[in-house]
This record gives sequence, structure tokens and C-alpha cells, in this order.
Amino acid sequence: MPILNSVYRHREFQHLGTLTGYERAGGWNGMKAALGMAPDDVLYAFHRSGLRGRGGAGFPMGRKASFLPKDTGMATYVVCNADESEPGTFKDREIIEKNPFQLIEGVAIASYAVGCKRAYIYIRGEYGHQAVILAQAIADCRAAGRLGPNAFGQGKPFDITLYRGAGAYICGEETAMLESLEGKRGQPRLKPPFPAVAGLYGSPTLINNVETLAALPPIMHRGADWYAALGPEKSPGTKIFSVSGHVLNPGNYEIIMGDTTLRELIFDMAGGLREGRELKACWPGGSSVPVLTKDHLDVPLDYESLAGVGTFLGSGGCIVMDDSGCIVRASWRLAHFYRHESCGKCTPCREGTGWLEKILERMVHGEGRMDDLDMLESLFGRIADRVLCALADGAVAPIKSALEYFRDDFVKVIEDRGSPVPEPMGVTNG
Amino acid sequence: MTTHEIQEFLAPIRHEFAEERSLVLPALRFAQEEQGWLPTDAMRAVAEATGLSQAYVESVASFYDRLYTEPQGSRVISVCTTLSCMLRGSDELLAHIGNRLGTGGVGTTDDGQFTVQRAECLGACDRAPCLQVDSGDQLGPLTHEAADEIIAQLRADGVPTRYDR
Repeated sequence: MPILNSVYRHREFQHLGTLTGYERAGGWNGMKAALGMAPDDVLYAFHRSGLRGRGGAGFPMGRKASFLPKDTGMATYVVCNADESEPGTFKDREIIEKNPFQLIEGVAIASYAVGCKRAYIYIRGEYGHQAVILAQAIADCRAAGRLGPNAFGQGKPFDITLYRGAGAYICGEETAMLESLEGKRGQPRLKPPFPAVAGLYGSPTLINNVETLAALPPIMHRGADWYAALGPEKSPGTKIFSVSGHVLNPGNYEIIMGDTTLRELIFDMAGGLREGRELKACWPGGSSVPVLTKDHLDVPLDYESLAGVGTFLGSGGCIVMDDSGCIVRASWRLAHFYRHESCGKCTPCREGTGWLEKILERMVHGEGRMDDLDMLESLFGRIADRVLCALADGAVAPIKSALEYFRDDFVKVIEDRGSPVPEPMGVTNG
Repeated sequence: MTTHEIQEFLAPIRHEFAEERSLVLPALRFAQEEQGWLPTDAMRAVAEATGLSQAYVESVASFYDRLYTEPQGSRVISVCTTLSCMLRGSDELLAHIGNRLGTGGVGTTDDGQFTVQRAECLGACDRAPCLQVDSGDQLGPLTHEAADEIIAQLRADGVPTRYDR
């Protein structure tokens, strides 16, 4: 099977969770290679590797880094997005828990390339256990001189601050994250200016996901050409998919992009479904992407191929539902999530996600009307694309696609006066 | 939590931020450690320690799910009920815990020992259905019996000395 543990090196080597163990397994070879090069050449290596942002948007990492203006007289910042909150996504958690030093090395390499002396890792508030592990790893690096006054050579300081969020999905949006890091409510900013030009404290800022940054040490050590040759030309490298829901072996799988189909991921790697069950629906890239059906199982897992079937690779959080599940109930649950997490800044999202939830809720509870389907459809276009950030689009995409593929199921739930999957007894709302 | 205690906590990390306002979240988290929520006095102390207005500090605190502006139980049990957990029985797990503790779902027990709340995706769908006590490690996959054992253990542990939520 085309598994390649390049970010998940802890699955190949033991003891990567300690600094000595990490060093013994070749840790800091990437940093060493980078320090032997001019920062611009390191940037060029990012570019040549073809690495794309692993948080969801898939923007070419090297290009993003090259947008940072130089010699502005201001500080330059790197911010690592460890706000992993996309439903169905738990890949960064494993990196932090099992291979934290590779993340730290990656942050350091990116910081060297863009001339950053202090980087921040913004970790979601709920990852308290993971924050303890990462804080210890950072402290160990400081004690060993990997971070601190001479991190990039004699008299060349670099350090990392771990910053804990406090519970807000929206802080995974990069400008909301910056607001939060600046001590404000985590609400997205109007763009442009983009963070590369005016980010943290108005300074040039590079923001990358945990998985993206943790991919850098092997790229610098083994070479950008090695990485670029893995997988398709436009989607090179490895990608971690988190598989969850109705599969026998939920978990993370790091695969070479394009070499594996959705079918292989679900049925070979994640163990497939329970006996006698069939696939009903799959959200392949976190919950904010259009849903797929059993007709899409042979799509290769890379950015272009998934876009080709109308969805997104997203964060790689692959949620699987078999035919025991109800697509209307699932859509309602997702609508609840986005309504709860909407920051309230833009009216179409604040009001629209509330209506999506309300309409789907009454369908599930037997109070749906046939014209609710028209109302849902009229809402989609009034919410998406009319707001500052991608949350609203993420709220619409799974529901709109569900209605396209499974319209009969919605009609049946309305006609039968409720979802075929019953509510557990005795749960109060909240 | 006094203003002085918060200032002492902030002193060693102050230099890590170009603007003082960045200290407000660390200060609020620290202030919350004492009682597990943020009473008005704690907000005032954070405001004084950071040089921001109390209204501003409260507006920030009210934005985040894990900063509590109302009293909470000694232990906050967050049951993830987002899609991946729902598909593996999180609603039934929440109902079971609610029935066991007498909260009937989300809410705080009469003795103030537990608050049960729904959580949005806790990033542990491989452990679904899962829950988290305060901001501890995500526990799962949980049977109802395993949830009972967690509750029994928490009862035996008693009231924590610091709260990390």
C-alpha cells in the first residue's frame, strides 16, 4: 500500500517523542541543510517541492512564503496554525502528541527562510493535553540550544511561543487567528491586505498548518526534487487522511498523493464498513466540503482529482457514513456546528446558518414542509460568497451537495414526518 | 485571583509579544484556573493587570467557549456530538451520562460536582464516541460502562486544586 510516513516518522522510529530520540533518528538534518543555504534558496526549495498548504485551502506553500515583503524595517512572523477544529480532522493532534520535534524543526526552517525571530504556535484551547506535550518539547529545545539566542548560529536568535486558544472553530481561519493572537475576539478580517503583507501586529506574517510545517524537515533533508517527484505534478508529496465515522479502523493514514483511491482508503486502510453495510455518504476533506457517494469511490486522492468530482481535498478529514445513517440528520448536525461556530460578524452567515439549522431540525423532527427544500436552495446562494471568510461556504457546501445527491431522502423524511434514525431518549437540548 | 498574581504570571512572558493586548487570553486562562470560571472580580483583575478596560476584557472572554462567564461544576465533562461522534453513538452516550448524573443531558448537577456540556469536534474522531474532562486528553471510544468508570474515578478524585479548561 502506498503509505509513506514522512510526517508521521514516529510510526517508523521509536522514541521520537524525546529530543535525544529525535536527534538519533536524524532529527535536525533538515534544519542543518537549511542553515547551510541562503534564506532565499530555502524559499526556492519550498517552491520547487510543490508542497501545498495542508490546512484546507491547498495554496502553494512556497508561493505564499514568497509574498512576504523584505526589508520593511518591521519584524517578520511565522504563525503555525494548530487550531485543528475541522470536524473529522485529527491529524495534527497525532503530530503534536507523537512527533512534536519535527513540527518545531519545521517551524524553525520556515522562520529561517523568511527571517523570523519569533514564531507562534496557536493551539486550540481544547488541546490542553497536547499543549502540555508541545510546551515540554519547546522547553527541551530551548535547554539544548535548538531554540534561543543562538538557534540559527552564533548571535542569531530564534524562539517559539506556544499560544493557547480558548475554544472557537473560527480561529482556524488565519485572520481570525491573528485577531485572537492579538488579544481580540477571533473574528476574520477584511482581505486584502493578506497576512503576508500585513499580518500579526501589522507585520509580514507567514501562516501555515501543522502538517505543512512538519513536512519541511524531510523536504530540506532529502531535497525538494525528491518531494516533488512523489505523486502528481500539481499535488506532490504525502498527505495525511483522518478517517472516521462508520469504518472499522478509524485513524490517520499518510499516503502518497494520487496513488490511492477513496475506495482503498476506506476499505483497505480503514478496514471498510460493518458486515452487510453499504457506503451512503463520505465527506472526504473535513465537513466543509461537498459530500460524495458510492459512485465516487474510485477517485484518486489528490487536489485535482477530488476537485474533478466536485469536492475538495480540504483538511483530509474523511468522514464516512454507511446506509444505517440518515443524510438529513447528518446535515442537520453539520448545520448545528456551523451555526454554533459562526462568529457573527457577517450577517449572511450569522443569520443564514441559523436558518439552515432550524429548517433541517424541523425536518428531522417531523415538522418539515415540502417548500422547505426550496427555502434551503434559496438560502445557499444568499449565504456563500457574501462574507469575509470561508466558514459560510463550508456550511453550505455539505448541505447543498447532500440535497443534490440525496433529494429523495429529504423528500421521504418530510413525507414520513421525521428521520428514520430515532433520537435517543432523555437528551435535553443545549 | 488578585491583580498582583496575574501580573506576576505575565511578567516572564510579556517580552514575547510586540503588543500588550496579546496578554489578555493568557491572563484570562490563568485567572480561570482558580475557580474554573471568571467571576466579575477576576475580569476586573485581568483588566487591571493588562491595562485594558473591564468591558473589553469581558467582550473577549464572552467570545470563547472555554472561557466561562457563569459558574461551572467542579469538573466539566464535554461530550463531543459532532458528526463523526454522532455516527458512533455520541447522542446515546450524552443521554446516558445525563441520566447517570441526573442532569438529563447538558447541565450542572445539584451538588455542583459536574457540568455536562456538548462539545463541537474535539479532534479525536478516531476515539469516537469521546469525551473530555476539562481540557484533558480525549477519552474514547467509550462504552456506557467506561463512561460510568470515568465518573466514578472523578468522584474519587474530588475537587481539583487548579482548573485547566
